[in-house]
Amino acid sequence: MSELVHIDGAPRPKADPKVIAGIAMNLALVCAVSAIVLGGVYVGTERYQRMARLEGERTAVGALLQLGPGSEVTEVEQYLDAAKNEVLYRAREYGNEAAPVRARVFSLSGELRGSNDDAGAEPPAGLEPLGRMFVARENGALAGFVLEGESRGYKNRIRFFVALDSSLAVQGVRVLEHEEDPGLGAEIATPVFRAQFTGRTPDEIAAIGVTRDPMPEDWHAALAAYASSTGAEAPAEWRTLVQRERGKPIYAITGATISSRALTRGVKGAVDHFRRRWSLLAPQLEPAGAAK
Amino acid sequence: MSETTEKPPGALQLLLNGIFSENPVFRLALSLCPAVAVTTTVANGFILGVAVLAVQVLSSLTVAIARGVIHPRVRIPVYTIIIAVWVSAIDMTLAAFVPALYAQVGLYIKLIVAFAIIISRLEVFASRQPLVPSFWDAMGMGLGFMLALMVIGALREVLGAGAFFGIPLFKTKPLLFFALPAGGFFSIALLMAFFNVLERKLTGGTSKPAAGGHHG
Repeated sequence: MSELVHIDGAPRPKADPKVIAGIAMNLALVCAVSAIVLGGVYVGTERYQRMARLEGERTAVGALLQLGPGSEVTEVEQYLDAAKNEVLYRAREYGNEAAPVRARVFSLSGELRGSNDDAGAEPPAGLEPLGRMFVARENGALAGFVLEGESRGYKNRIRFFVALDSSLAVQGVRVLEHEEDPGLGAEIATPVFRAQFTGRTPDEIAAIGVTRDPMPEDWHAALAAYASSTGAEAPAEWRTLVQRERGKPIYAITGATISSRALTRGVKGAVDHFRRRWSLLAPQLEPAGAAK
Repeated sequence: MSETTEKPPGALQLLLNGIFSENPVFRLALSLCPAVAVTTTVANGFILGVAVLAVQVLSSLTVAIARGVIHPRVRIPVYTIIIAVWVSAIDMTLAAFVPALYAQVGLYIKLIVAFAIIISRLEVFASRQPLVPSFWDAMGMGLGFMLALMVIGALREVLGAGAFFGIPLFKTKPLLFFALPAGGFFSIALLMAFFNVLERKLTGGTSKPAAGGHHG
């Protein structure tokens, strides 16, 4: 091996082992102190972070479904058991950690393989989580669903909720976490962009695309009016224009086609997946005994 | 290198220095990339400015305290670690205790690790000066950065989106070009030229024009 030379061609000075050791110790010390500080902050904040995230999800589910009194929500966790080619569903009353967990196991082809109405509080280890869904009932009748989904965005994953009404048409989309660029990709979380999904049927979602064409002015105005309306009744201009636009592609954010495609692809995937699985799961999730 | 022997200037001098004569964006031309990326609105500029101010002050204080311990040959990696620790700590704390605010600023916080202005102040100032002047230098630089971002944001929001602080001013968007990244560079160039002319007028033409990178 040839002798190491400096970048300008001069022979490299012999490094003093003591100096090297000193530098290594110095860096190690700084890293150790940093690790302790960061660990301390993490331990101190992790519990509050989780609580804040759960609280945010609860608010999002409530706002998306606009449930009245007398409604109940069931949280269903989905896991993939890749070794056995099985999917595990765990259902319990949303927000009640003490409620019993109903577990169902299906094969990938949709055959029921196991059933347990009093499964443990923790899911078995080693399974891959596939996101959750929330099933809402009002006075015993199905009132709507919220699906949790994830998609790979421009920088990191985009985590979102899609709300469906009882006919499986999209009722709303909410972006929960993302790291897209502020001012560009981050615009996918704005009410106007998200409102483009609202009102589309599962068949329309299955065929959805993204276009870089500019959004028509009247549709933008109608979406803005829809996004800022608070009552149960949607604005009239939105109700007319949604008939024209519901079969058309999503209009991408200018300069952020990748982020726009990512959210659209995620919503499409979540709805398609749910459609295939819901027919299997629905009979299993009927309220046990008489409806409350 | 002369800073080590000079007596450090007073607090007010240091503050004004960061805001005007050595403004990070308009005079030192540092951290232009984030200055372009996030300044589409005044509010964005303000939020990022506050976060940078906090990280700059905390990092400068840490370096001013620990400067005797840091080995000079690895000072740059050590500065980077110090900045990253403060950015991560602020990130986790905001996410835990003010989730509503974090939902708006979380995206910006993580970007700050790579800001040239912060590490440059650690190298040029905090590593050579005692605690108190380092604090005022960090305050001045942080405020200067924040004000610069807000001025750029104001220009771009008014011209690009026809609004100010989110309040619509006109029915239309006058020049959408200014909201896009290329428009950001033009905004900074126009403002930099404006501040150069202003400074020339005020000081009678004795000051040097803005030149990026002369602080390393």
